[in-house]
Amino acid sequence: MNRIRNLQGSTLVLTLLALLWVVVVFVLLVLKPSVFSLATVTTILQFSTILALVSLGQAIVVMAGGAGIDLSVGGIVSLSAIFGMLALKAGLPSFLLPATCVFAGAVLGAFNGILVTRLSILPLIATLGTFFIYSGLALALTGGAAQSGVPGWLLIWGRSVFSSIPAPFLTIAIPVFAIAGIVLMWTAWGRWIYAIGFNERSAHLVGIPVDRARLILYGLSGALSGAAALISLAWLGSGRPNIGQNLELESLTAAMLGGIAISGGRGGVGGVFAAVILLVTLKTGLLQLNVNTVWQLGIVGALLVFVLLADRLSQRWR
Amino acid sequence: MRQFRDGVFSMTGREWSLLAACVLAIIVFSVASPYYATSGNAGTVLRNSIELLLIGLGMMLLLAMGGIDVSVGVVMGLAAIGVGRALGAGVDPVLTAFVGPLTGALLGLVAATVIVLGRVPAIVGTLGLLGVYRTAIFVLLGGQWLSGLPTGLTVLLGTTILGLPIAAYVIALAYLAVWVALRRTPFGLHLLAIGNSEEKARLSGIPVVKVRFATFIISGALTGLAATFYVANYRNVEMTVGSTLALDAIAAVVLGGTSILGGKCSLVGTVLGVLLLRILQNGLLLVGVPSLWQPVVTGGLLIGVLSFEVLSNRLSLLQFRWAGK
Repeated sequence: MNRIRNLQGSTLVLTLLALLWVVVVFVLLVLKPSVFSLATVTTILQFSTILALVSLGQAIVVMAGGAGIDLSVGGIVSLSAIFGMLALKAGLPSFLLPATCVFAGAVLGAFNGILVTRLSILPLIATLGTFFIYSGLALALTGGAAQSGVPGWLLIWGRSVFSSIPAPFLTIAIPVFAIAGIVLMWTAWGRWIYAIGFNERSAHLVGIPVDRARLILYGLSGALSGAAALISLAWLGSGRPNIGQNLELESLTAAMLGGIAISGGRGGVGGVFAAVILLVTLKTGLLQLNVNTVWQLGIVGALLVFVLLADRLSQRWR
Repeated sequence: MRQFRDGVFSMTGREWSLLAACVLAIIVFSVASPYYATSGNAGTVLRNSIELLLIGLGMMLLLAMGGIDVSVGVVMGLAAIGVGRALGAGVDPVLTAFVGPLTGALLGLVAATVIVLGRVPAIVGTLGLLGVYRTAIFVLLGGQWLSGLPTGLTVLLGTTILGLPIAAYVIALAYLAVWVALRRTPFGLHLLAIGNSEEKARLSGIPVVKVRFATFIISGALTGLAATFYVANYRNVEMTVGSTLALDAIAAVVLGGTSILGGKCSLVGTVLGVLLLRILQNGLLLVGVPSLWQPVVTGGLLIGVLSFEVLSNRLSLLQFRWAGK
């Protein structure tokens, strides 16, 4: 116990997450030994790719403080997937589809950023409003119907597997997290984000453009959600207007589990990544055990509340 | 300091312009749709406003205190299941009417425990509870609708005394109770002080924890009361119950002039905000806009009003400066 208590910051988070993951895997193995096959690993990583990108966006927005939160991530995923497919139907050349999805996401995210930084609307209210606008638009524009017609070459990329690791995970999730980690750890930009989140006023006083940085982060979060939308298209083969459902809750849970402080200025992307894997393993495991999917939402919600309470309690003990 | 001398129905510029917006919307929709200006439709709008009004009053208190609750929709769903089950089991309608507020208050206590004692931001805490409660509704209903409930509660709330249904008295009583609590008791002052600055409120000796607990419980009880009306009105509980109620309530309260930063609120504004929202939603439906567009319209209204406020504030500040020179 003493060794665990002596661990600091991200090491502590990673150790705890790894322990939890081992517990989850162990329980699953005992309950249903046939669960673990390479196919399950592929499924877990495929689901993780979407959640990981969205959670990363959520994490950087929360990290930059100022009560930052992005409740609209799920809406952005749905709307950029639908927007891409509708643009394709309207005659967009198919090689532009990836760029269109990411760009649409970035624009939607930047709109959040403008509301928060230029109009100084509270992030939670601004993104709650845009959450309903974006996800409502995705449903209203399609009448709730899935949009088919994803180009074949995209499906090949989205569904191919290299030694049981899905291609999108290898080519998008890992590079994006690596870049995010490097930027946060070793560049001035990364230091700025922590500084803004830790103490906005002093960050402002040393000349960091707080508002512009936050605007960019909201745009970036949107772009990551757009990339997640693209992956959902390439994997599922159709644009579903409700694909982003509950992603705001799951991404927040992953970010909090991963050690991002809700008040900003603390946390790292490694923890978020580990938390995503843990969450998706838990969800996939429950699915394999034939637990009804409605339980997933409740378990994720309970985890979120539990993590926040545990965080407060552990701070009190120190 | 005007806010401390507020009458039961005092109106300011904000409320008058909301009233004007309501009248304008009614005129426009009456011209656009022949089905709009009927007494039957007016009744529908008013009936549909009841739950939102009660929940809106609770949300107004929370926002004025600097809190928020995005789980009100599912809290109402859970309370409605409680009321429905009690009604279905043949409990006396007068007693079942109290099941709603009691369940709501209990769930408010749960939220307050997590948020106040756990010192968790209200938005994140209630978002987590939203997930848990949504699952609880699915599990309690077991994949089916609760439907075909007895009419006891409907009859009870529809019984007229002196020409008005009991429902109207209950709503008026709830409104008055909130008004008294907010404008005529130390509790109201404390609540607004916490909304202005929690730290200053604590330093000036206000029992912050107690007041925040009480506010969450009151909001929960009002939401539970809304569930009683919901069951009396529709006599069924579906699985997706209340999925946009939280947004509707926040939008209506913000429309009504309550500050999302806390410390300022308007009771009449909340009533008018609820009415305007329901008039718009009902009117757009009758004009032929599919109901899928409703969340887009509500969300747009919320963002639009907030942006307009900020921009007009800046404009008047600019004019003030020019006039000064």
